[in-house]
Amino acid sequence: MNTAAPSSPPPAELAPETAALVASLRRPPPADTVYAEVRFVHVLRRPMVLRGELHYGGAGQLGKRVDTPYHETTTIAGSDVRVQREGKGERSFSLDRAPELGVLLSGFSALLGGDSTALNRDFIVEAVRHDEDWRLTLKPRSSALAKQLSAMIVDGRGGEPRCFTLQEADGDASTMLLGDLAKAKLSDPPTREATAKLCAEFPR
Amino acid sequence: MSERVVLHRHLLLGIWILVLAALGFAVHRSLVVTSDLRAFMPPPRNADQKLLLDQIGEGPASRLLLLEIAAKQESFERIAELSRGLAQVLRGDPHFTRVLNGEVDLTTLDPALLPYRYLLSPTLDSQNFGADFLRDELQQRMEDLASPAAGMLKPWLARDPTLEMLKLAQRWTPAKTPQMRDGVWVAPGGGALLLVETVAPAFDPAAQGMAIEALREKFDVLPDSKGATLEISGPGYFSVLVNANTRAEAEWLSGIGTFAFALLLLIAYRHPGVLVSAALPIASGALAGITATALVFGPIHGITLAFGFTLLGVAQEYPLRLLSHRRAGASAQESLAGVWSLLRLAIASACIAYLAFFASGVAGLQQLAVFTIVGLIVAGFVTRYLLPAVLPPRFHDVAESVWLERLRLKLDSAPRLHALPWILLVLAVATIGFAPTPLWQNDLSALTPVPPKLLQRQGELSAALGSPDVRYLLVLDAADTDRVLTLSERISPQVEKWISAKIVDDVELPSRYLPSLATQRARQARLPDRAALRVALTEAEKDTDFDPGLFSPFLDDVEKARGLPLLTPKAFAASLLGARLDTMLGERNGHVLGFATLSGVHDASALANAATQLGDGVRLLDLKAASESLVADYRTRIGIALLAALTLLAVAVAVAFRDVRRAWHVIAPMSLATLLVLAVLRVGGVSLSLFHLVALTLAAGLGLHYALFFERRVDDPAEARRTLHATLVCVISAVFVFGLLATSSVPVLRAIGLTVALGVAFHFCLSTIMARNSQHDR
Repeated sequence: MNTAAPSSPPPAELAPETAALVASLRRPPPADTVYAEVRFVHVLRRPMVLRGELHYGGAGQLGKRVDTPYHETTTIAGSDVRVQREGKGERSFSLDRAPELGVLLSGFSALLGGDSTALNRDFIVEAVRHDEDWRLTLKPRSSALAKQLSAMIVDGRGGEPRCFTLQEADGDASTMLLGDLAKAKLSDPPTREATAKLCAEFPR
Repeated sequence: MSERVVLHRHLLLGIWILVLAALGFAVHRSLVVTSDLRAFMPPPRNADQKLLLDQIGEGPASRLLLLEIAAKQESFERIAELSRGLAQVLRGDPHFTRVLNGEVDLTTLDPALLPYRYLLSPTLDSQNFGADFLRDELQQRMEDLASPAAGMLKPWLARDPTLEMLKLAQRWTPAKTPQMRDGVWVAPGGGALLLVETVAPAFDPAAQGMAIEALREKFDVLPDSKGATLEISGPGYFSVLVNANTRAEAEWLSGIGTFAFALLLLIAYRHPGVLVSAALPIASGALAGITATALVFGPIHGITLAFGFTLLGVAQEYPLRLLSHRRAGASAQESLAGVWSLLRLAIASACIAYLAFFASGVAGLQQLAVFTIVGLIVAGFVTRYLLPAVLPPRFHDVAESVWLERLRLKLDSAPRLHALPWILLVLAVATIGFAPTPLWQNDLSALTPVPPKLLQRQGELSAALGSPDVRYLLVLDAADTDRVLTLSERISPQVEKWISAKIVDDVELPSRYLPSLATQRARQARLPDRAALRVALTEAEKDTDFDPGLFSPFLDDVEKARGLPLLTPKAFAASLLGARLDTMLGERNGHVLGFATLSGVHDASALANAATQLGDGVRLLDLKAASESLVADYRTRIGIALLAALTLLAVAVAVAFRDVRRAWHVIAPMSLATLLVLAVLRVGGVSLSLFHLVALTLAAGLGLHYALFFERRVDDPAEARRTLHATLVCVISAVFVFGLLATSSVPVLRAIGLTVALGVAFHFCLSTIMARNSQHDR
């Protein structure tokens, strides 16, 4: 049983520089970016590497296309999730069936909308800067989400986010390398250290 | 009066009270009170009606409780948390066979039964666990791991890579479910919805009460449940609620009634001793009645007791007659002797009227008949032979009251309204015939009336939850359980078509929970042995990155499943799902019946049509039609029984009087008053139920007394005053006690109270007009 209270403590105002950093992340929709995702899953011998494109169509409108190693398109509109897998037809489900996922996606949406208030409502937000580089660490306030997700980390340089990392509660993790970084050469097999190093020079 | 006589009187009184106390103690110790309300429903005449009575009491639909958790001040997230918490604790509670709240629950199968998933899931009907199938499945699991579903799948992956548990969980979830929010079902009003199924049948309020108590306790100890409310609805809850409400209100109203009655007695007879004198005969009658009923039937129904005491109210008149007719210069015995022949006739007549209940053939009413007839006879005879001996010697002759004489003269000089009864008769018959509402309450549920507000809430919750239709039921009939399951599997493809054709939203067949032995055997035969499966799995794993050896729990479970004894309903019954299946199976005359509930019936005629094409052994049961035919049978039987009783009554009175004209003057006002009560009820839009019949019979019994005593020829004005006094005390007390019941918020009590109070008033008025006419006509 997670001891954190479901929706407390009452969120204080974000520090001005953190709020400014979040605001600078705002992307006018629609926005698309290529990504390379490295997933470290404990039941797998080697990490999974997925490549494709992310789509942001405004508040609550998100899309993720996987091009390799298989074809899959996930679109999220409001609470409606559709997964189209090559040769398997379309499956759809409601985010209401997976509430923790809903919190995660609204966090995502808040980041891309530069909405620091919404972000602060669902996450404990911490920011660190080092020259041009910065890191936002988001920890879920909801205990239901915290059972699955320990932290969501965004690394960036200047006004550009470079990496998006999810640290799951069971130790598994995934990192999305965004934009130009998606084209960077990954070690074979990719390791957590090497991937982190690509994202930022911070000590992890 | 000598001291010896006083001593003798006190001794007798003491012995009497002691005997009653001893009998009361014995009855209290050994009495078994049952609460199955079906004892008061009409006896079934055909197979459909039998099924109906089984189903409304024990069928799966009757065991459902609909729950809503609401909290005004809380976020839905908190309410959802409560919903999950409650579902979790209830799943471990022996009172419940199923708990649904919208969560996808992969643990629905008892952990000990997990390897059985390969025999329960239909996967092996179309697949074998070869390399191609496994490769495809493992590939999908890889992709799932990169998808939003990863969190849910990871714990099961090693043991169940083909997701059989997920397939089963989906198969066991009703097709049409409420809206979801935060992972649980949400009501249109914003609360969280849950559906639980009790082990106890709906018509066992005692067992239902325990389940509901457990439910409330579990909810109250949940963290954060303080600010939230748990609303319960459903047939089982109603039976508990109605029972408790009726009892509480009846107790408090009869408390007031008894107090007022005692006060009236003190005013009327001006001696505190009358309270004991008035109580002894009815107490003796009641105890004798209970004892006799217990000896004949064994356990006594709770309603028999309640109605029995009500109907014994007639016996309250016996001691009052004795008290009012005492006169100076004569012993109590001698005073009573004058009216005894009449009182005896009244007792016999009431017994004849109550015999109608015995002839009805309804088990509960037969108990009621034995209880009341024995009670009346005993109360009458102790009034005649014991009570006079223990009455206090001092008394107040009621004939000395001046106002009574004035009232008597007034009544005597009142105009004789010979035409009035005939006008009333025409009016009453016309009203009864032309009233727009149905004469009979055809709805069986009216026997256990639930406040309309609660029924409406049940309707709302039931619509929101998509819970099974209570009207239709698919009945599968076969020689044994396995053949029922085979039949269920055979019709399953056709039934699926109904769902896709939108005739119904869902049909829950027994084979959804447990396949037949043949199907299980076929699936088991398709499971590869460990070596073959390992080869196939190794081949399939080649194209994936899963850890080598990750799937050894899968290999173990398949190997275990190959050697399992096939799952029978009996072995399955120990688990939650098996208990659920158990409620879908029944036995009748050496045959086994399977029941499939239907949800969301959109096209009843198409459904009825489609059901006839399912072949032998399957039919659609329309519970509403069965219940209406049952009620129609019922009212015919009770109607005939009451008519027969009336005829017998008329004959008895005529024989006793040896004068048809006098008998007419007694029977006519009683019959007309009964018709008038009916007419008034009809004008008020009331459809008749069993309660009204019981109440009408009681009122008629009382009315008979008034008519008999008014008709009695008395030349002595003092004796006439005594008769009037006794009748007034009886009428005032009856109108007051039952008028009080008529103010009740409980429909049953209101129906009885109103009918009896009205009846007593009409009987009294008509008796003064019509029975007294007899004297003047002579």
